[in-house]
Amino acid sequence: MSFEQVFSLTVSGVTVGMIYALIALGYTMVYGVLEFINFAHGEVFTFGGIMAAVVLGWTGVSDAMPIWLRVVCLGGALVAAVLATVGLGLAIERLAYRPLRGRSRIIPLLAAIGVSITLQQLMILVFGPDSIIVPPSVVPAQFVTLFGSRIRVLAFIIIGVSLLLMLGLTYIVRSTRIGKAMRATSQDIEAAQMMGIETNHVIAFTFAVGSGLAAVGGLLVTMYYGSIRFDSGYIYGLKAFTAAVLGGIGNIPGAVVGSLILGLAETYGVGLNLGLLMWFFVAGLAAGLYFQLVRAPKRRLKHIREEDRTPAYEREIMRLYLLAPVYAVRVALAKRTDALMAVSARHALQLTLGNVFLAVMAIVFFLNGHAQIDPQWQNVIAFAVMMIILLFRPSGLLGEHSQEKV
Amino acid sequence: MAKSGDKKRGPIATALGRVPRWVYLTAALVLAVLFPLLHSAGLMDMLWIRVAIRSLTFVLLALGLNVVMGETGLLNLGYVAFFAIGAYTTALLSSPSLGFHWSFWPLLVLSMVFAMLAGLLVGLPTLRLRGDYLAIVTLAFGEIVRTVFLNVTSITNGAAGIPAIYTPNIFGWVVTEPPQFYYLILFFVVVVVIALTNVKNSRVGRAWNALREDEIAAIHSGIDATRAKILAMVISAGVAGLAGCLFAYYQSFINPTYFLFMQSVIVVCMVVLGGMGSIPGAVIGAIVLDSLPDVIRATFSDWLPRVFGPTFMASWPAWLQSFFTDFEKYRLLLFGIVVVLVVIFRPEGLLPDTLWRSETHEEDPREQEYTRQTLFDIDEGNQDLEA
Amino acid sequence: MAPVLELVGLTKAFGGLTAVNDMSLTVEPGEIVSIIGPNGSGKTTLFNLVSGIYEPDSGDILLEGESIAGLRPDQIQAKGISRTFQMLRLFSNMTVLENVLVGMHSRTKTRLLGAMFRLPWVTREEKEAVARAQEILAFFPGRFSGPRQSQPAASLSYANRRRLEIARALAGEPRILLLDEPVAGMNPAESLEVMQQIRELRDRGQTILMIEHDMKVVLGASDRLIAMDHGVKIAEGDPQDVANDPRVVEAYLGQRDAAAS
Repeated sequence: MSFEQVFSLTVSGVTVGMIYALIALGYTMVYGVLEFINFAHGEVFTFGGIMAAVVLGWTGVSDAMPIWLRVVCLGGALVAAVLATVGLGLAIERLAYRPLRGRSRIIPLLAAIGVSITLQQLMILVFGPDSIIVPPSVVPAQFVTLFGSRIRVLAFIIIGVSLLLMLGLTYIVRSTRIGKAMRATSQDIEAAQMMGIETNHVIAFTFAVGSGLAAVGGLLVTMYYGSIRFDSGYIYGLKAFTAAVLGGIGNIPGAVVGSLILGLAETYGVGLNLGLLMWFFVAGLAAGLYFQLVRAPKRRLKHIREEDRTPAYEREIMRLYLLAPVYAVRVALAKRTDALMAVSARHALQLTLGNVFLAVMAIVFFLNGHAQIDPQWQNVIAFAVMMIILLFRPSGLLGEHSQEKV
Repeated sequence: MAKSGDKKRGPIATALGRVPRWVYLTAALVLAVLFPLLHSAGLMDMLWIRVAIRSLTFVLLALGLNVVMGETGLLNLGYVAFFAIGAYTTALLSSPSLGFHWSFWPLLVLSMVFAMLAGLLVGLPTLRLRGDYLAIVTLAFGEIVRTVFLNVTSITNGAAGIPAIYTPNIFGWVVTEPPQFYYLILFFVVVVVIALTNVKNSRVGRAWNALREDEIAAIHSGIDATRAKILAMVISAGVAGLAGCLFAYYQSFINPTYFLFMQSVIVVCMVVLGGMGSIPGAVIGAIVLDSLPDVIRATFSDWLPRVFGPTFMASWPAWLQSFFTDFEKYRLLLFGIVVVLVVIFRPEGLLPDTLWRSETHEEDPREQEYTRQTLFDIDEGNQDLEA
Repeated sequence: MAPVLELVGLTKAFGGLTAVNDMSLTVEPGEIVSIIGPNGSGKTTLFNLVSGIYEPDSGDILLEGESIAGLRPDQIQAKGISRTFQMLRLFSNMTVLENVLVGMHSRTKTRLLGAMFRLPWVTREEKEAVARAQEILAFFPGRFSGPRQSQPAASLSYANRRRLEIARALAGEPRILLLDEPVAGMNPAESLEVMQQIRELRDRGQTILMIEHDMKVVLGASDRLIAMDHGVKIAEGDPQDVANDPRVVEAYLGQRDAAAS
């Protein structure tokens, strides 16, 4: 694999990651303020893309038009799409979600699923089941050569636009009143209400911003791949949500980080050969071993009661982490289980299993160095990455370890 | 002192509630058994037996999903994966494609076992996660399973599917005709209903309900939450595996398109509509939602024209006509709208597990002054402990 | 005889805030020990440590001499510590009887297969469990009789909900019962009744550790009193002495002044 190939893959990965991020931000912001997964967000994204494509179709934009006019049409379509999508998002929130606020977790989720189906089916009925294309005249077809590889200009536009929007969002969240209100509401909605914050407005604003970003994502995706379908939202929504969870749901930078990781993972996964992918597992294994043999025992040692603290006991805890399975069996068989030992044994066993898995994967990939993963498995890679990370860090990479209030 | 649960029942409901349960159950059973005879008597087209078989398959799926979603409060959006695993196990081991011809009972058990193993595989790492994450992880798992079945063409034949599944031979009884399949699946539905009802009314079922109601309180009552949740997941997967096996035998051909995510969603709709945690609710929800398109189509394309004459719809606007005659196109849209409406206005479903009722409605206002502040937690229902 | 519960140097911090700081206490068999202190003094965190929701940063928790630190809450309940919650956690959609039956989970053995096939020993265990549950409910005379047992817990009055939670905790046959503000929100008559019932539990041999703000109940029911402030024990001993201890008074007053300003 040449450097140019890897670079080109990296740019692709980042591009698709940015698109996921635009969608993931919607999921994560809504979850932040409401602790609720807006299942219908994927359909909102699709709607934005379809609206943009349809409006572009109405403008009759063609190669005959001068470039500035085409840009105007594109801008107009974007504005129309964003407005329509924001309207849709607000309507959904008001009609389907607000009546259910405060109910048990599963109820709003079910409503969201219902809304998602309804939207998808409406889009089929109104726009038809076939792909909707964007007129090629608005899609920049040029390439630039960077570090020896040919990259689409559109990729840079997508990355640039997304970065701009994210910076804008960061500014809003950090420095404006409504942004502060959003942060307050995500921390503790009741306290925010008691401080006089109009939480209904904050929530509506959150939905609006999320929907707007999704609309932009929808347009960009349609331009990048040439078309969009009623069911595009399903897979994009799912992956974007995966990315949000990966980064720590409710965490805005986390959504971006998670999206980039996911985009790169699925692009590298089918683009690089196994010999190169192996290094990811090796890195993971190194981190895992470090954690198992150094950090975890150190943390565990702090829990030893003073009167029990003897060098022998400390050594036994360290050995537990080194030879986990053996000790786990011994501890399980012992009549008097020292609570600390039991917990440590279980923990050590989990870590060992994790590291064994990573080692096995690394070896398998090493032995098949020249092979490549078939593109049809691309989605599976995304999901697998999420499931694995959640296994080891249930609150996501940048997620907060939020404790239940008892 | 005020019984907020009682206040909402109208006169019809009260009258119906007075009839002892066993009367309903026996009546339903008798009707179900006699149903195919309508065809033998020439009163009913074979189509309806096929519809009934399909609906009963969904009944099994709804019963299974009810265990994990209705009783335990965990949202599994990848439920169809277990169905697929059961179906593919049966198809692969009882068709020419791999050259196996297992007999019925061992294959049924194996289909269930594989589905249950999958349930264990999904459950073990994920049931520690918060409920929302679980939904998405199960969805992802469902997709992974479908993708595997689609792509590992050397074994599963990919999109082409597996044809020519052998007919089951049960102690000498060769099942070929739809009425026979009907009785076969009806038998299993009855068995599953009885088994799940027994479990629901036992220590095990109570533990599940407790987890749904308030996980922290449940844990503090000595319930090992992870174990109980995994058990619910495994049992529900097993029922789906059973349904998959029977489905494969009946269809005699399966391919990945039978196991799309939409199927998981449809089963979720059925359980929600019927009433979560309610076994009769799951049965009714499944039957209603599954047979609805056929019933509507038959009503408007067949029965009503026979009664009112073939042009009775002629004056209706075209879109309305197409809605009824072409209902299949609108089916899912209707499902979506129904779910949203049910969840907002009648979350306890059609046939509530009568206890589910009170949670999801507003409490009696007289009690609110005592309890609003201190019972805030209860309104939120199942909360997860992230340890 | 070994104390039923012993906390040794228990410490728990959340980020920069040390909620419980080097707390030690013992509860002897058959006594009622109450913990008092202003809001935020760490009382409920202490309970959460004992019941297993939190793992202590350091220190140990001993139940009749056996360390239980680090165990899960369900394991701790099975070993014999039951609790009620400050914010009342009932299974609202389950009946009164079922709530108590759930409390017995660790004292019963029916598993899936037995339940599915309704084996005779399962039916017998269920019958016995129901009888025991009714006995426990009868401890609150007249409150949970007959038809009320089949009503959903959500339909009970507030005071009855608190009583039901205690009944559920008792169903676990605990060696020590942790009551977190058992009379919060009750009127004086109800508080008095519950206080007497708590005393009656003690007379029947139940060891109790209680958090409570209502001083009448605290002084009327406790054998010993422990006062906490900012995660630290500031006084311990005879209830009247502790209640009048100037440091305790100041801890509460200090709170009042801060709230007023």
